Parts: sequence; C-alpha cells; structure tokens
Amino acid sequence: MTPPQPSNMCGTDPSPRRIARPSGDAAILKAIHVTKKFGELVAVNDLSFEVKKGQIFGIAGPNGAGKSTVYNLITGFYPFEGAIEFNGRNIRGLPPYRIAQLGISRTFQIPQTFPSLTVEKSVSVGNRFGSPGHFDRKYVDRIIEFVGLESQRREMTGQLNLLGKKKLMIGAALATRPKILMLDEPMAGSNTSEIKSLMALIQAINTDLGVTIIIIEHFMKVLTELTETLLIIQTGTELCCGDPCEVTSDPRVIESYLGEAYADSNES
Amino acid sequence: MAVIMAVIYGIVGVMPIFVGDVRFIMHILIMCLIWAVVAACWDLIMGFAGIFSFGQVAFFVMGAYGSAILASRLHITPILAMVLSGGITAAIGVLVGLPCLRLKGAYIALVTFAVHMILEPFLKGDMGRFLGTGGSRGILTIPPIELFEVTFSSAAPVPFFYLTLLLSILCTVIILIVIKSYWGTAFLALKDSEDFAMSLGVSAFKYKLMVFALTSFLTGMIGGFYGHYVGMLSTRMLGIDLFVTLMIMLVIGGIGQYPGAILGAFITVSLNEMLAPLGTYRPLTLGALVVVLVLLLPDGVIGLIRKVSGDEAEGAGVSRY
Ligand SMILES: Nc1ncnc2c1ncn2[C@@H]1O[C@H](COP(=O)(O)OP(=O)(O)OP(=O)(O)O)[C@@H](O)[C@H]1O
Ligand SMILES: [Mg+2]
Repeated sequence: MTPPQPSNMCGTDPSPRRIARPSGDAAILKAIHVTKKFGELVAVNDLSFEVKKGQIFGIAGPNGAGKSTVYNLITGFYPFEGAIEFNGRNIRGLPPYRIAQLGISRTFQIPQTFPSLTVEKSVSVGNRFGSPGHFDRKYVDRIIEFVGLESQRREMTGQLNLLGKKKLMIGAALATRPKILMLDEPMAGSNTSEIKSLMALIQAINTDLGVTIIIIEHFMKVLTELTETLLIIQTGTELCCGDPCEVTSDPRVIESYLGEAYADSNES
Repeated sequence: MAVIMAVIYGIVGVMPIFVGDVRFIMHILIMCLIWAVVAACWDLIMGFAGIFSFGQVAFFVMGAYGSAILASRLHITPILAMVLSGGITAAIGVLVGLPCLRLKGAYIALVTFAVHMILEPFLKGDMGRFLGTGGSRGILTIPPIELFEVTFSSAAPVPFFYLTLLLSILCTVIILIVIKSYWGTAFLALKDSEDFAMSLGVSAFKYKLMVFALTSFLTGMIGGFYGHYVGMLSTRMLGIDLFVTLMIMLVIGGIGQYPGAILGAFITVSLNEMLAPLGTYRPLTLGALVVVLVLLLPDGVIGLIRKVSGDEAEGAGVSRY
C-alpha cells in the first residue's frame, strides 16, 4: 500500500511522496521584491519567491548569501523594502512576537535556549505566548514527546547537548502551533545518525502535524531528500529555483555554489 | 520561595514581643522591612528581567518627595498620597524604560544611573523648589500616616512596625506572585535570549515596560511610606552610601535568588547598625565583606541555604551559567 520511498537523492522518477502531498497550489508565504541593505552591504537583493502550503521548501547558497537574513526579515527582526505576504496578508512592519502569534515560527542558526528555564517551561513559553488559543498543558506534553525530550523535561536547558538544544528550539517553536516552521541549518554540527533522526523529525512535523516547512541547509543530500522546491541564493539574489534534482544539476549552481562548497571541503 | 518568606517574616513578626520597648531596635526592624521591598524590586528587575536598572534609589527618593508634597501641600491623606506618588513614579519609570528597550546591559545601567544623577540638582533647583521640595534644606515637616482616625508615627513604634510589616509582606508577595506567574517566565526568557523569546510570541516591549512600571510603582510607594515615617527628607539619600548599601543587600541575598534579596536587606541593615561603632571604618568593613561574600557565596546567603537543604532548581541565579 505504501508508495516506495526513493532510495537515493535523485531517482529518474520524481518521488511519489512529492506528488501525493495534499498541498494544492495555494501560496502560504510570498516574498515580493524583498531588499535589505545593511549600510552599504546589500544582504538581500530584490528577492521574490513563493512557498506553497504544506510543502517542504529548501533554501541553500554560499556563506553570507543572505539566507539567515531572509528569515530575520520574514520574522520581523529588521525593516526592509518590498513585501512579505503570509496567507495573502502583508506582514511587513509587524513585530516579531506578532508574527509568531500569526503562525510563523523559526529556529536559529546558533542554537538558542533559556538557561534559567527547564525544558518543560521553555516549550511552555511557545504555547503560552505564541499560540492563538489558551495555554494547553496536554499539547505541550505532546510536543515534548514528539521531539523526543520527555526523559529530559525537568532538566535545565543549559544542560542539554547540541542535539537536545536543537530539539528544544524545534519543540518550543512547534508549541506555538505554527502554520510555517523555518529551520536555519538544523543539521550543522550533527553526525550521520543525528542527521537521520532530525530528518525523520522534520518529515514527521510536515506530514503528521501538517506544518509547512522552510529549511536552510548546506547538506545537499538532506535538501534533495526532503524538499519539494529548492531555492538557491547568491549574494542576496535568486540563482535558481525549482525541483531540487533539477536545481542541483543546473550548471550555474554547480559552478557557483556546489563547486565552491566542493572546493571548501577540499581545502579543509 | 514562599516558605522561606514565611519564615523570615514570621521571625521578624514576633520580635516586638522581646524588643518592643527598645525604640532603637524597633527602628532598625522597620528600616529592614522598608528596604526589603526596595531590594526585592531591584532583584525583580535586575535578577529576573535582566535589566541593569540603577535607578532604584532615585525611584525611592522620587516616591518619598512625591508623597510628602502631595500630603503637605495638597493635604491628601498620606496613605492615598503614597499610592498616587507610586503611580507618578511608575509613569516616570516607564519613561525611563522606553529608551532602555533599545539598549543592552551596561548602557541601561548608564541611562538609569543618569536619572539618579539628575535627580539631586533637580530637587535642589528652582523647578524642584517650585514643586515644594524645599531646595537644599529639604522637607522638614511631613504629616504622619493616619488610618481610621489612628495616627501611626515613630512615636509609637510597635503599631507602626506592624503597619510596615503588613505593607512589606503585601509588596513582596506581589513580587513573588509575579515571579511565579507567566510574567516571571517571560522576564526570564527575555533575559536569557531576547530573540528566541520574541520568536515564540513574547513581546519584549510589553514585558520590559511592565517590569519598569511595577518595580518603580512599589519602590515609589514604599519611598513615600518612608517619608511619612521619618517625617523629613533631604537629598542626602541620593549620596553614594545608600546606593552601595542597597547593592550589598542584593549581593548578600543573591541576585536572582528571590526571596534572597529580602534576607539580604535584613542582614545588611542590621549589620550596618552593628558596625556603627566602627565609625569611619564602617564603609571599609562593609566593602571588604562584599568582596569576601561574592567570592565565597556567589548565589548569596539564599544559595547557601538552598545548597544545605538540597533544593537547587529554583531561582534565576547568575552563577549557574
Ligand atoms: N545585523 C547585521 N548587520 C550587518 N550586516 C549583517 C547583519 N546580518 C547579516 N549581515 C550581513 O549580511 C550578509 C548575509 O548574512 P546572512 O547571515 O544572511 O548569510 P547566510 O546566508 O545566512 O550565511 P551562512 O551560511 O554563513 O549562515 C553577510 O554579509 C552578513 O555579514
Ligand atoms: Mg545563516
């Protein structure tokens, strides 16, 4: 009954999982001619893209391309030019906490925790302040279990290891009952088995909780396996956007990004 | 937390049975109760919300002058004057808080301490004199507190002590409730990682201004109470002595170790009186004590109590990370 899972990164057939996704065509998030300047530096340059409801959308690009800045603009941390529409509503100018309450949550590239709070309390923060309804203890418990932190729920978050901190960030973000979850390099610093478990978690968030996901990642294998659409940005502009298999075989991407990444890994 | 507070106030509450007729000791106890509130407020804003507000003494003095002027010039009954003055102080606190929203750490300390620095010339200057501060002479006759036709003043220390006890418990319990509520969680989350907290729906604007409003209200109100107790005010309070003493209370009690600050206030005020015979050596001794305490007890006395009783999970101590 279950459709066969693609075993490698890019089979000849498109993955059945991608076709079967009940996403429809409705865009949940639209970036329209977004530009962000930090003084002289143009970090994001006239960037437009569209994320469809229910999909896993990938963003990649060289270091300093402006990927994290895009997240900071979507979540209201900086002012910018252009527009960002969430479910058809322009959210530019809203403060971060309002955007969180509307249903866009995120994690950070540098893991963030609340050292003064326990795991349980930290996840509760998301539910108490970020979710549209009332505080729901049962939902918090469910999320803690979902991300696999139930054995550490009474620990102070400062004591968690890197994987634990990442799970905590994801758990707290999920506790806000988001429509979109944006992950910023969730695999960084993880070993192969941790990457596998994080990928399974991200997939489960998408399919079981029905949350649209945007993921910034350097690992191409992760992107081609997880994402439905992949956007490559370079110096703040779009280089290429589309099916991850096509994108990663695009000569421009290979030359400017994959080539560079390859060179990087040879250097070190 | 509540247990420790109950024990502290319980012990203090029965003191008049033994020392009720020693006016000098009753005065020290009353001062302990008053400073406990100020120290508790400071701990809330600094230890829990992580905002390095150095304007606490200034808010205390503003509240004292405000209430004294309202009571003596406008003939408002002192209890009401105290509350009104607390409200005025809270409004000023929020105004001071606004620029602090964009600042971090040491810069907030500078801005808030600037308020402290400005206050003395303001109170002594023409504008202050116009408002009724009495300039550099100060205010010499502040009406005592009257409640239900009964006058509470330093002339009858035992009734006054119990009034102070009541007010002190009221204020510190309010702070305890705030710390234990989701407000307290929001303060800690914002202190630990403002970006992460905001991305989870916590409004930094709202909760930071709220902590400024609440702590300056309570500090201003208790300042007003102090004025009605001592009956006269001058800008001498804005000298460095009181500021340092308040800091010692927090260090002894433990920053972010509520209700450590309350215990710290009791120990510091009493110690300060006991060291009085040392004369000019008193500040030196206190200073040395602080250094030793910070090194030996980074979480203050309360950290020691917690360690002994094996209850470590509470509080927002700074030494933990
Ligand atoms: N707050 C800021 N102030 C000034 N410049 C900034 C700021 N944030 C980012 N930048 C600059 O904007 C550019 C894009 O940074 P960004 O963090 O978005 O890159 P990135 O694509 O996420 O890179 P990485 O893969 O290293 O995480 C960089 O040149 C960076 O130095
Ligand atoms: Mg980045």
